[in-house]
Amino acid sequence: MATFAQPQTLVRPASSSSSESGLWSWLTTIDHKRIGILYGVSAIVFLFIGGLEAMLIRLQLARPENDLLSLDTYNSVFTMHGTTMIFLAVMPASTAWFNYLVPLQIGARDVAFPRLNALSFWLLLAGALILNLSFLAGAAPNAGWYGYAPLTEVLVGQTDTFNTGRNIEFWALGLQVLGISSLAASFNMIVTIFNLRAPGMTLMRMPIFTWATLITSILMVLAFPAITVALVLLQLDRFLGTHFYIPSQYVNGELTLTGGDPLLWQHLFWIFGHPEVYILILPAFGIVSEIIPVFSRKPLFGYAVMVYALAAIAFLGFGVWVHHMFTTGLGPTPTAIFAATTMLIAIPTGVKIFNWVGTMWGGQIRFSTPMLFAVGLVSQFTIGGISGVMHSSAPVDTQQNDSYFVVAHFHYVLFGGSIFALIAAVYFWFPKITGKMLDERLGKIHFWWTFLSFNAAFFPMHFLGLEGMPRRYASYGDGSGWWFWNVVVSIGSFALAASFVLLVYNIAKTLRSKERAPEDPWDAATLEWTTPSPPPVYNYKVIPTITNRDQFWADKYGTGQDHEEEADLEVRIGGMKIGSVDTEDENPEDQAATRRQNAQSGDSQSLGNIEEDEHIHMPNPSFYPLVVAIGLFLVAFGMIYSYPRLEIERLSLPVLSLFGLVVMLVGIAGWSLEPASDPEPDHDESVPLGTSSHA
Amino acid sequence: MATTALEVQRAGGGTTHGDSGHGGSSHPPTSTGIDSKKLLMWWFLGSECVLFGSLIATFMIYRNRAQDLSVNLQGIEGSGLAVSSGPFPNQVLDQLYTAVSAGVLLFSSFTMVLAVASVGRGNIKAFRVWTLATAMLGAIFLAGQYFEYTEFFHEGLSIQQNIFGASFFTLTGVHGMHVFVGVIWLTMLSIVSFRGGISKKDHTNVEVAGLYWHFIDIVWIVLFTLVYLLPYRDGAESAEEHTEGAMRLVQSLPFF
Repeated sequence: MATFAQPQTLVRPASSSSSESGLWSWLTTIDHKRIGILYGVSAIVFLFIGGLEAMLIRLQLARPENDLLSLDTYNSVFTMHGTTMIFLAVMPASTAWFNYLVPLQIGARDVAFPRLNALSFWLLLAGALILNLSFLAGAAPNAGWYGYAPLTEVLVGQTDTFNTGRNIEFWALGLQVLGISSLAASFNMIVTIFNLRAPGMTLMRMPIFTWATLITSILMVLAFPAITVALVLLQLDRFLGTHFYIPSQYVNGELTLTGGDPLLWQHLFWIFGHPEVYILILPAFGIVSEIIPVFSRKPLFGYAVMVYALAAIAFLGFGVWVHHMFTTGLGPTPTAIFAATTMLIAIPTGVKIFNWVGTMWGGQIRFSTPMLFAVGLVSQFTIGGISGVMHSSAPVDTQQNDSYFVVAHFHYVLFGGSIFALIAAVYFWFPKITGKMLDERLGKIHFWWTFLSFNAAFFPMHFLGLEGMPRRYASYGDGSGWWFWNVVVSIGSFALAASFVLLVYNIAKTLRSKERAPEDPWDAATLEWTTPSPPPVYNYKVIPTITNRDQFWADKYGTGQDHEEEADLEVRIGGMKIGSVDTEDENPEDQAATRRQNAQSGDSQSLGNIEEDEHIHMPNPSFYPLVVAIGLFLVAFGMIYSYPRLEIERLSLPVLSLFGLVVMLVGIAGWSLEPASDPEPDHDESVPLGTSSHA
Repeated sequence: MATTALEVQRAGGGTTHGDSGHGGSSHPPTSTGIDSKKLLMWWFLGSECVLFGSLIATFMIYRNRAQDLSVNLQGIEGSGLAVSSGPFPNQVLDQLYTAVSAGVLLFSSFTMVLAVASVGRGNIKAFRVWTLATAMLGAIFLAGQYFEYTEFFHEGLSIQQNIFGASFFTLTGVHGMHVFVGVIWLTMLSIVSFRGGISKKDHTNVEVAGLYWHFIDIVWIVLFTLVYLLPYRDGAESAEEHTEGAMRLVQSLPFF
């Protein structure tokens, strides 16, 4: 797996990506495609766990004054439903696609720091484990995924005030570990996209999904430190008796007014939390922007504006956090300012919706399953987006705050947006990953089942919210009149959960079948479809040279034809021309001729040719990322279960954490001393891998 | 397909990869010409800006709060609540002492530059001297911080004592941990160099450590200004100060 010294033996490379299997190869893998698969499988597992929690919530609310779950259990279940779905299902699913697709889309052989990439995944698993082990300890997090102070606080020496169990420790330390995982993954993706692009791939020739990855990663890099600080302060409050988030605390045995402010938590949390919302949705936008052009057989309408819109959403996303706090009484000035910035975000988002419609307009649309889910996003996300614009108005928000209307809103954007797109991506790229096509007939049934049950589960929540049903409550009264819609919602959500069983059945059935998919089954435009399915470990025998935005279409159909077609293409609404496509400054005939010439002469720069004596040199597998992740897991876990302790004078340290620290340092030392790849002086310098960095 | 003029220009040059710009560098060429590790460090530092920004914001919100509470709410009889008491910043902070240790840390940026420059010239002996000097100056700064903390503990300011203590120790403590990591990193680099593991081609590795070190120095310039130089309001020493303090609170309401 490490070194491919003999390219001649790689005539049939499709099998070589699975040339090494078995548990050890997966534990030590640093191949971005395998790590992507690990991320994807974990995301599906946690999607089911989060879904199970949702089902418990819906069982509880299926009839008034139900006592199926105790009040404490209900708190834990809805806290873990939110935390799991956001941090362990949707984010890892997005990261799975970042990992699998981005190096392929930019014509690279791996990410910039393959071992750091493995560490990101193992830390995700460590954080997920900490969060979910809390159930076994009977101390599942119980303060909501937003963890508002003082619900999360303790008073020093008091055993019955606020949140004195270990619930919040599991939550806070789990999130800290997940934060490190996300930061590491984001640094890696940013550097990969800036530095490992194939020759000729300028930023504005990158596939739009790669752009979405880049912008999302920048968001993560700039948003996560805020929650890191917020959680550190929370842990200091809980472990050391500071009072950042509570106005009073026991100081020297006396209850003292200290001036701590619960609103500080809300500010820090939402400075992270609102960009987080865009971290969840921008990858979905990227996926849909890849799928719609392919199934409309037209280039993406307004590519440049789509890129600017992504950047604008990300930029504005840092300036709207106070709209989560309209009812906290910050006063008219901040409320008005943040209402205005929130409304501004509707502009770039609207641009994206219209550009997807513009892409489909006049196209030869094929409604295959990926396209159905992509169009599903365009319609369902719009509903959620519009209720979001409603909330941007502070008076309206005050009415709807903490009601089921808000629950309906964010499920329309997160399920109708993110998850629809992530399912679309599964159907779209499954043949690339496995070499097999998912069953189209089952896929179409799956789409309509999901679409209908999704609306049954979440649309009535709008009515419930407007009728005043509060969110987060474990029960509601008999005479409230909310029973009917709650029953509809519960039936809808059970049907929705069943739709995922259908998806998994489809995947299992397809994996067992012998039928192989063609390498480019959808006639797609981006580079990953030029590779065999599944792609070999090294992705490209020869790094492709990029001359066009939709490179693979240009290779298949030529740019000249494209331009003739596009020059004719005008977008008209009501007879008025609202847009057309420019022709290129260069002579497209020259380019096409050069490429044809290259192909005939077997020039090494043209796609898919082997230069006879090129050595493809891939980095070695490594288990040090796993060691470091285990070490960090033990450090965090030792802080939750802080006994036995080591007493050194006035310091008292948990032994497990210290042991974890040692494991971590051993891992880091091994990591930095281990050569990233076998020394091979002849060719090491010549291959533009960019993977030999020691990070 | 719409292509901007900029792209057409860059398209021709797209196939030529820039080197990282240092003679003798063995790193693979990258699309931007910037070494991947260096780019990673720049983005890491961007992330650190948000980390310190959040901590600084927290500190700025709370820097006068303990004093103001003590002045305005002292003597609430029968509430069962005590009110935040000192030591307050004006009683404990020693500007001159910290100015000296800040000077030490700033000077270490100078030695760091010399270390990076000497490895660039291939002068490994000079590199060892300057790297160790940088690490030593960082360690002196940390020792200074240790004695400062000890002094504060003796005067009764702990992390629990009041919200000034909480935000002061958190902010300067996180910075101190960053200095500690930097000292360890530089020490490791010099150990590796004694074993012959550093040559001219490691210029980028040293430069990345330098970027980190300079960033930590710059953060301290900001912290020194906000924590030590910017004036604080006084807390109440005794009951007589109430009225005066109340006036000061009214004047300072926007900060409260």
